[in-house]
Amino acid sequence: MIEVTALRKSFKSVAALDGVDFTARNGEVTGLIGPNGAGKTTALRIIYTVMRPDSGNARVDGFDVVADRRSVQQRIGVLPDSRGLYPRLTAREHVRYYGRLHGLDGAELENRIDKLVETLGLGEFADRRAKGFSKGQARKVALARALVHEPPNLLLDEPTNGLDIASSRAVHRLIRNIRDQGRCVLFCSHIMREVAAICDRIVIIAHGKIAACGTPAELLEQTGKPDLEEMFLDVTGGEAGW
Amino acid sequence: MWRRIIIVFAKEVKDNIRDRRSLLVALIYPLMGPILLGLMMTMAASVVSGGGEGESKFTLHVQGAEYGPALIAYLEDKGVVIAPAPKDPRESVRLGRVNIVLAISGNFSEMFDAGRTASVQVISNPSRLPGLTALNRVASLLGGFNILIWGRRLADEDIDMKVLRPLSIDSVNVGAITHITDILLFMVPPLIIFNVFMGGVYLAIDTTSGERERGSLEPLLINPIERWGLMLGKFLAALLFTAVAVLVQLAAFKMVFNTMGGPDSPFAQILSIPTLLGIIMTLAPLMMLAVGAQFIIATVTRSFKEAQTYLGLLPLAPALPGLVMVLSPVEAEKWMMAIPTFSQTLLLGQFVRGESVELLNVVISMSSSTALALVLIACAAGLYAREELIFGG
Repeated sequence: MIEVTALRKSFKSVAALDGVDFTARNGEVTGLIGPNGAGKTTALRIIYTVMRPDSGNARVDGFDVVADRRSVQQRIGVLPDSRGLYPRLTAREHVRYYGRLHGLDGAELENRIDKLVETLGLGEFADRRAKGFSKGQARKVALARALVHEPPNLLLDEPTNGLDIASSRAVHRLIRNIRDQGRCVLFCSHIMREVAAICDRIVIIAHGKIAACGTPAELLEQTGKPDLEEMFLDVTGGEAGW
Repeated sequence: MWRRIIIVFAKEVKDNIRDRRSLLVALIYPLMGPILLGLMMTMAASVVSGGGEGESKFTLHVQGAEYGPALIAYLEDKGVVIAPAPKDPRESVRLGRVNIVLAISGNFSEMFDAGRTASVQVISNPSRLPGLTALNRVASLLGGFNILIWGRRLADEDIDMKVLRPLSIDSVNVGAITHITDILLFMVPPLIIFNVFMGGVYLAIDTTSGERERGSLEPLLINPIERWGLMLGKFLAALLFTAVAVLVQLAAFKMVFNTMGGPDSPFAQILSIPTLLGIIMTLAPLMMLAVGAQFIIATVTRSFKEAQTYLGLLPLAPALPGLVMVLSPVEAEKWMMAIPTFSQTLLLGQFVRGESVELLNVVISMSSSTALALVLIACAAGLYAREELIFGG
């Protein structure tokens, strides 16, 4: 479970987050959506511990992201916006490296890697070096290394960005499976169809503030709009983010 | 924590062993200095020994050899090979086709037999080193001939030669072959220092600004390892590559010195095993310092290319004092030992030239460099802890 309270963060004079509160529950996919530059990535970066908030706090399974950073890191699996691979390491070596950093080793680690290779369909290229991987292949490896320690909380920043339809659907299936295991998924996306398809709850962020929050049905009802895209434009003021 | 630091270290070593560029910098670049120096020393030694007394056969091109049989006979007796002069002696000497030409005048025998002063002309080009040594050789041969004939003519007049020769000069040149190569030995320290700052540079860039540019840094930072631990693992990998580069270079220097002139030559004594151990000990803190500086630069620069630009220049600064000392050597003093890179340049010079090295000097140099290295490592760790790490700058 991820709880965010009164989170503020500024870069020089620009307020990226201006008092953000939301909760992402276990057994649910929470969609964090908003226009470009709304503060989604900053919020995620604070939750996954690479940035510190100016004020307010974020907790993962009750652990504070600043005070208990190590405990938070052990409980999250992250697919950040920048998800580069090492061109000279094989797919399997990528997953093994992250597994070891999470304290896994030996047969247990190898079993988990085998399992991920199977679930994510890495078989064909598992022992090939990452140089020359297609976008889809690279994304699968990045997901596999985020999942190797079986984190109870998963944070995904636009996980299907740039993927073809089949690969996107495979990612959606994976997210639903993880949710069905009772784990917490926080998910950033621009694509309303995708949000509608897999999110149980939606948090809309605009200008560093929470603009709306609820299940897709609740949001449609509150705004009286026919679909999520219209609702989104209505709630965020309809401005282009750039 | 140490377990995770070793995991990062092992990954970076494996990753970079697979990288041709890292290997090139660590294994091939260090060979350049020793090879270049070996070639220069071989050339210098051959030129100098060619001019030494009683050395290999000396060929002298003579114009008008038939006019001076007495002189030619003397020269041949001294082991000189007489060859005919080229058509245009001045031009040939100027262009370096022949080193020197001796021209004997047509009336040589007439004057010589009459007991008068016969004349010869020496056409030389001392602006070339072989020309200079040939001139020395010919001057000493002709001087010898002069004295011989003097003696004979004075004997005919019943005058003892010694009366006219108050000074007998015997030149003993203990420098012999090593004279010019001594100067070249001064180039060894700057070459080693340069290598210390070069050996791990590719790894320092690749593991920091390279990692950021690839987009693999941000996901890595989310793993449960302290940032300083992450930095230390990468630092140790770069340090290993630096150490390998230095060892490869020292081994290459040793081989070059050993192969020059065989086991009896003075070079074979340079870089004995205890000397090598002394050099490695002296260099260890400097390696840490170099890698620390590389990490700081690689962390604050925004891109791989920017880091490469700065780090390409970095080795020049510490190597500069050594290069200056090739031309004007400095006497080592205690306070100089407190200056990192400068102290190592001085100490390496003493090691290489086989001079006695004061233990206290080594201790001062090692402690001051270790202290600065620790400061730099702490700074690098501090930079790693900043939020800006993921953006650079």
